[in-house]
Amino acid sequence: MHESILAFRKRRYLWVALVISALSIVAYLLDDPQEPPNGGTILGYTLGTIAALLVLWLTWFGVRKRRYSSTLGTMQGWLSAHVYLGLALLVIVLLHAGFQFGWNVHTLAFVLMTLVIASGLYGVFIYVKYPGRVSTNRDGASRPELLDQLEDLDRRSQRVAAELSDDYQELVASGVSRTQLGSTLWSRLRGRDLSQIVLRAGGQTKVVPNPGQEAALDWLANEQSRATDADSAAQIGELSGLLRNKRQLLRQIREDLRLQASMEIWLYFHVPLTAALLMALVAHIVTVFLYW
Amino acid sequence: MKYLIRFITRNAAGGVEHSDKTVDAPAITIGRATDQVLHLKDRRARLQHAVIEQQADGIHISSSALTGVIVNGRSQRDARLSIGDTIEVGANILRVIDAPVGVDFAITFELSSEASSDHFVTDWSEPASGLGGWSKRRLSWALVILVAMFALALPVFLYENFMLAGPVHSAHSSTAAECDNCHVNAFERVPDPACEACHTVDRHVVQSSATVLGEIRCASCHLEHNEPQQLVNQHQGLCSDCHANTPPDATLDTAGDFLDDHPGFELDAAAQDSKLIFNHAVHVDESGIVTPEGRRVVECSECHVPEPGGAGMLAVSMDEHCSSCHTLSFDPDDPSRAVPHGDPETVLQSLIEYYSARLLGGDPDAVEQRLRRPGQALSRADRDRAAAEARVQAFDVAEDLFERRACTTCHAVTRLDSGADVPWHVEPVELTQSFFVNANFTHAAHQTEVTSCDGCHDAAASELSQDSLIPGIENCRDCHGSGFANRNSPEQAPSTCVMCHSFHFEAKGPRE
Repeated sequence: MHESILAFRKRRYLWVALVISALSIVAYLLDDPQEPPNGGTILGYTLGTIAALLVLWLTWFGVRKRRYSSTLGTMQGWLSAHVYLGLALLVIVLLHAGFQFGWNVHTLAFVLMTLVIASGLYGVFIYVKYPGRVSTNRDGASRPELLDQLEDLDRRSQRVAAELSDDYQELVASGVSRTQLGSTLWSRLRGRDLSQIVLRAGGQTKVVPNPGQEAALDWLANEQSRATDADSAAQIGELSGLLRNKRQLLRQIREDLRLQASMEIWLYFHVPLTAALLMALVAHIVTVFLYW
Repeated sequence: MKYLIRFITRNAAGGVEHSDKTVDAPAITIGRATDQVLHLKDRRARLQHAVIEQQADGIHISSSALTGVIVNGRSQRDARLSIGDTIEVGANILRVIDAPVGVDFAITFELSSEASSDHFVTDWSEPASGLGGWSKRRLSWALVILVAMFALALPVFLYENFMLAGPVHSAHSSTAAECDNCHVNAFERVPDPACEACHTVDRHVVQSSATVLGEIRCASCHLEHNEPQQLVNQHQGLCSDCHANTPPDATLDTAGDFLDDHPGFELDAAAQDSKLIFNHAVHVDESGIVTPEGRRVVECSECHVPEPGGAGMLAVSMDEHCSSCHTLSFDPDDPSRAVPHGDPETVLQSLIEYYSARLLGGDPDAVEQRLRRPGQALSRADRDRAAAEARVQAFDVAEDLFERRACTTCHAVTRLDSGADVPWHVEPVELTQSFFVNANFTHAAHQTEVTSCDGCHDAAASELSQDSLIPGIENCRDCHGSGFANRNSPEQAPSTCVMCHSFHFEAKGPRE
């Protein structure tokens, strides 16, 4: 039975996070320091120490998830705790700072932490929503299977084209080799069809954009209308049918790649921002004690 | 319907083997899923790829898959099957054969030799090469270096203010131009000499005792870089931590909280008696008092004027506040004449001068003037006589003023031994500006729409100047509550110790 990381063990870590947050808030409200609430009171130092340790533990998640042999809790449990305690961190740090902000290294660390938490929240949203969308889009097939289907269509197109003329073979071959699905995360996220095709017109060859196989289908429709015998007209018709199927398959694969890119891209913010946060945290702590 | 499926395998030597399987089912389902009748192990096939079943005009194969099926070399979504037809699904080849007896439909199934074919499409499953060519690791290091330069190098070498945890109080704006004016040594807390470079500090009774975070320094209480800015520690605990628990033999009463743990006010004993004779009750009588302008009610503010800043009141003076009613006239024949408001010698001298001038100068009614012949100066004997006469008159009037009329209204006057030149002594008046020894009070902060003079000072009931019109602590508690906000009702003003008291005592001398 699938259990969401958010619902892990009856939301155990949600309750842990809520209890930690509530305890911090109660301590903050009961505390009566001789100065405005800030990181330098006894409670301020306490919450700051807890927050710093929490940051280190949350960062350790990146190490733990690579230790496949570790039996210290399940990975699912770690992620669930990572999410909920990461949110509790925001509460603890706000109370640590006594809600004092400024244009300084201290607030820089806070801002970076907020960005890390925000990108993490986006990641949670993606991880909860997107696997379902991926399954729906793939409709039972895996990515390699979709690509094998694409290969199958291409091979059959070539087989049909071989029975026609060199022009058709060239059309299909260039269409296959110039199909673009996007090689970088950005291009996969944008999902634009940058495929091209080589067309022969009046003895000249030229490379034209072929989004959605439109250029190829137009060329085939044109040839089909000029076909003199029924056999080749039927073959051209079959080739058009294969390309239309390829168009639909490409759309499906493109969506698959886009969904996967969405699930990967947020980590390109979450992880480097975490590294930046650790550096800013060091700067924050050094600065505080440098000018104690 | 009964179907026969004949599985054909070709061995390396070119021999053919086959095994039959008879299926009694409504249709032959073909696909990659395990519940399919014909279970394909080909990734090009869908889970449910195609179905062979009886339709109205014969047996059909239909496929909903994008790739469809190839029947006799043609891609098809639906085709009627007849004996000899070849069907391709990915690398699998099915042929319709003549059905043996007892079977409705028969096909052979064989894996094409084309199965492991050449790959002529790009392998799109290759992982994407990071974000704009940057891996997460590389991006992380770049950001770490950026933050290190921005948050450590920049502040340390160029712009110290970027390390400020909060604003500097305006009182320190010139001092704090350089961080190390106060933060003398790195990784050490602000030492007292840094404060004492500008401030001289009076000491409190008890000096430094250890706290959780170390010894008490100036900056333990006077903290910078906070919002709201608060250089003066207003906290109740500053005093009550010690004074709420004074030992039994302590000279001071315990004082924990203004609301219910504070001794009554102790007024300066010396300030109680001003040596003035004054009856407040008469002066603030609701029916008014007789003044040169007639009978009228006198307001408190006619005599009590706030000093600049509004903390206390300016001293009441005879000239400004009393003399319009309390004239110092002495001669019923000449009521506009008054003695000066000064010491007895001055008063007596002014009387002697007055009467001498009257007897010797231009007063036509004076006896000496009547005796004098016109155009003739007074003889020396006459003048001496006139002067002696003037002294006698002056003494008589002075005696009347000092002992019966004007002066004694307000002053305690004693008659001295007859040998003295000026035989009267007037007790000097000692007006009190502040009755509290160790507390501060400001009238300005208490001037509100709901307060009035008589709300605190019961002047109408005071007949003696020795009466203390300073209200007791209960009067303050009408508005002032606890130093701990949570103990107060909404109407009560939070009142911490330092609202009235100073921590540093001038009387205790400079801090050691």
